[in-house]
Amino acid sequence: MDILGAAFFALLTIGTIGAGVGVVLANRITTSALLMAFTFLNVAGMFVLLGAETVAMFQVLIYVGAITVLILYGVMFTPQSPRPYGLFFQTQKYWAALFVVPIAIFVALVAFEFRDSGAASGSGGDLVPLATSIFGDFAFPFEVASVLLLAAMVGAIVLVKRDEE
Amino acid sequence: MAVPLGAFIAVSAVLFFIGTAGVLVRRNAVVILMSVELMLNATNLALVAFSRRFASIDERGSVFVVFIFVVAAAEVAVGLAIILSAYRNRPTVDVDEIRQMKG
Amino acid sequence: MIQNVWLIPALPLAAFFINGLLGRRWLHRWTGVIASAAVGLSALLAIGVFLEVQGGGHESTTVTLYEWIGVGDFHINVAALVDPLSSVMLLVVTVVSFLIFVYSNAYMEHDHGFYRFFTWLSLFVFAMLILVMADNYLLMFVGWEGVGLCSYLLIGFWFERPEPYVAAKKAFVMNRIGDWGYTIGMITTFLVFGSMQFTEVFEHVDIATEANLTLICLAFFIGASGKSAQLPLHSWLPDAMEGPTPVSALIHAATMVTAGVYLVARSMPLFEAAGPSLAVVGAVGAVTAIFAATIALVQFDIKRVMAYSTVSQLGYMFLALGVGAPVAAIFHLATHAFFKALLFLGSGSVIHGLGGEQDMRKMGGLRRKLPVTYWTMLVAGGALAALPPLAGFWSKDEIVAAAFLGGYPVLWAIGILTAVLTAFYVTRAMWLTFHGEPRDHHLYDHAHESPAVMTLPLVALAVGTAVLGIAIGFPPEAGFIHHFLGPVFEHEGAAEHAPEAATILALAAVSVAAGVLGILIGLSMYVRHRPDPAAVSRATGPFYRLLVNKYFIDELYDRRIVEALRAAFGAMWAFDIHIIDGLANRFGWLAAVGGSGLRRAQTGIVGNYALTIVAGLLVILVAYGGYAAGVFTR
Repeated sequence: MDILGAAFFALLTIGTIGAGVGVVLANRITTSALLMAFTFLNVAGMFVLLGAETVAMFQVLIYVGAITVLILYGVMFTPQSPRPYGLFFQTQKYWAALFVVPIAIFVALVAFEFRDSGAASGSGGDLVPLATSIFGDFAFPFEVASVLLLAAMVGAIVLVKRDEE
Repeated sequence: MAVPLGAFIAVSAVLFFIGTAGVLVRRNAVVILMSVELMLNATNLALVAFSRRFASIDERGSVFVVFIFVVAAAEVAVGLAIILSAYRNRPTVDVDEIRQMKG
Repeated sequence: MIQNVWLIPALPLAAFFINGLLGRRWLHRWTGVIASAAVGLSALLAIGVFLEVQGGGHESTTVTLYEWIGVGDFHINVAALVDPLSSVMLLVVTVVSFLIFVYSNAYMEHDHGFYRFFTWLSLFVFAMLILVMADNYLLMFVGWEGVGLCSYLLIGFWFERPEPYVAAKKAFVMNRIGDWGYTIGMITTFLVFGSMQFTEVFEHVDIATEANLTLICLAFFIGASGKSAQLPLHSWLPDAMEGPTPVSALIHAATMVTAGVYLVARSMPLFEAAGPSLAVVGAVGAVTAIFAATIALVQFDIKRVMAYSTVSQLGYMFLALGVGAPVAAIFHLATHAFFKALLFLGSGSVIHGLGGEQDMRKMGGLRRKLPVTYWTMLVAGGALAALPPLAGFWSKDEIVAAAFLGGYPVLWAIGILTAVLTAFYVTRAMWLTFHGEPRDHHLYDHAHESPAVMTLPLVALAVGTAVLGIAIGFPPEAGFIHHFLGPVFEHEGAAEHAPEAATILALAAVSVAAGVLGILIGLSMYVRHRPDPAAVSRATGPFYRLLVNKYFIDELYDRRIVEALRAAFGAMWAFDIHIIDGLANRFGWLAAVGGSGLRRAQTGIVGNYALTIVAGLLVILVAYGGYAAGVFTR
């Protein structure tokens, strides 16, 4: 039933790209945050479509769960008075356009180049190979990653600490 | 007809492009952070797509993605901490107004 | 004893260190004693060496201390060449130095720089001994430079006044010009002969072309002129009289200025093989002799008279070398050391007794007040005027005789004429100082004879002056000194036909007559005022002024050379300030401008930085795309 797969893919694509554009162009910041969460969800769906369920699960847990919440906290603690649309874009918007347009061209090229490649989803699930790799070949980086998280946590706390008199 | 690899890559590329535009164009620092997350997701998507396409040869793309999750989470935490500190200094998250590092 | 010859310079060197390090705080007056004792011991050792050389058949020995430089083909040892010539020089230097050191203990008694004086003086003796003992040109140059340095230090001893240090600078600069000549000679010697050692060079004289040899010899002669105050590098010597009198006696009469003569004498094998150079030496010597004598005729400062006299006598020595009579030159060097040192020390005694007065116009009749000084100076003056049987007669007569017999009648005539002038000016000096009526009664009343520490050396030198000539120089051409030094200068047929006794006697008679004539003229002019000196000076007007102003040579040098150099230096200074400094400043300015330009990239706006990152990304994409599309090839 590949039509189903293709249809889902089309749906997820519209969702991802649309929500992404919405994140960048939304007026209210909370709208941006929620649309970002929606983007994450759609990407998780794409992972499922590819047969990487474990990664999709991680995506939902970490991105939609933790990171979205973090961003919402950030939004909450930095209230800004509503601004006119002219202050929406940075002052460097023209320069930005100049650099971004060529990248857009590249993107288009890349997008069309892979037009004829084979099917994406492979066979079987991805849990077993993933687990074998992480706890086998990449055990050390895994431990280092936990240290990294610890350092980031400590760093974040230190940065926001108020100086108690 | 299964979805071809190229389609996933196209989506990834467009999402990356959107994220980049967001970083360069928006004024609000939190929105910039969100755009960065979009870019990261785009790369994750590309990596997983390639990894699953060539799963018989090499599954390590997914492993890399797991680590990207870790680093992205850490980065968001620290980034927000920085934004909050800056906000405490002057109550603005407008990146065009934070230019004390000039010169 | 010969093997211990290195003790001779080592003792004054030790005295230098001890006096220099401990003299100011602890030793004070003892510095004089230490220095004098050191030189005295060296003198005894020098006598020992001399006796050993004489007893050992007049051979030359090389005593090597250690190898100094050994680079590729260039080898220089610190070694001493002990042969009759150097042993004579050692003797002269140490004995005369010792007497002067003793004298200085009393002369410099009231000077607050007492210890400093003996420190430099000891260093000087060390350097001079190195100079005469060296067995190669480079080591000799070490001593050469050392004496130049000490001369500078001692001329400018009373540096609180401006004249001494100006004179010291002048002496050093003119010496330096000579040193340049010496250096060229030294280096050319090495390039031509492959060695700087005397024995090696002299054995292989024939391998050099005459042009090379002439270059070497003339270069060395320039060095000798600088050190021995020959024309045109003579004018530093009279100015050097700003230094204390013992310094004038030791350095500028007996030892340092004779270094040039020693250099040429030592290098005689080179000079003899280089045709024209000996002629140059002789001519310059003769012209200098008469030139300086004319100036000495009209000087009023007693030390200046002696200074010009020294220049003139040095000219005689070079004249002797030029006509091929090096033994006569060294003989005259030795006798001159004694009687000129005596003349200077005597002048110092007069100056000391008068409390510092040097102008002879204020003296007169002092023989009654300073008897010892008077009689000893009379002996020395007689020697200078070449009266037999005093030492000066034997050596000077031999020089002019050699000029005549060698076939240089013009040089002989100049020598005779200079002898007349010499006798005249020494008579004049003696008369103005010691005879007649005192012209300044205040000075006269306070005049006193010097203490024994000063007069004893005077007496010792006088004895030496009296007997030295006969002791070593008689009979002429066949005396002790000729046998002693002969082998040093002997090589091919130097045993020329011995002149007949009659010729020698005739020439001697002419020399004596010249001296007596000069004395008679002097006495006539100053005792009987016939003709009256003042009238003569008025009558000769401009010529007299020319002489009193030393032919205006100093002014000439000042205007032509010094001014030109100043202009050149001004140009160089401008170059340094504007171009070199300007270049450095421009670089700094460039860095600053570049920095502030590049600083504009730091806008402080985070968005700009992100844009830069994206721009970099773009570059990478372009590069990758180019490779992929085959546009760039790896």
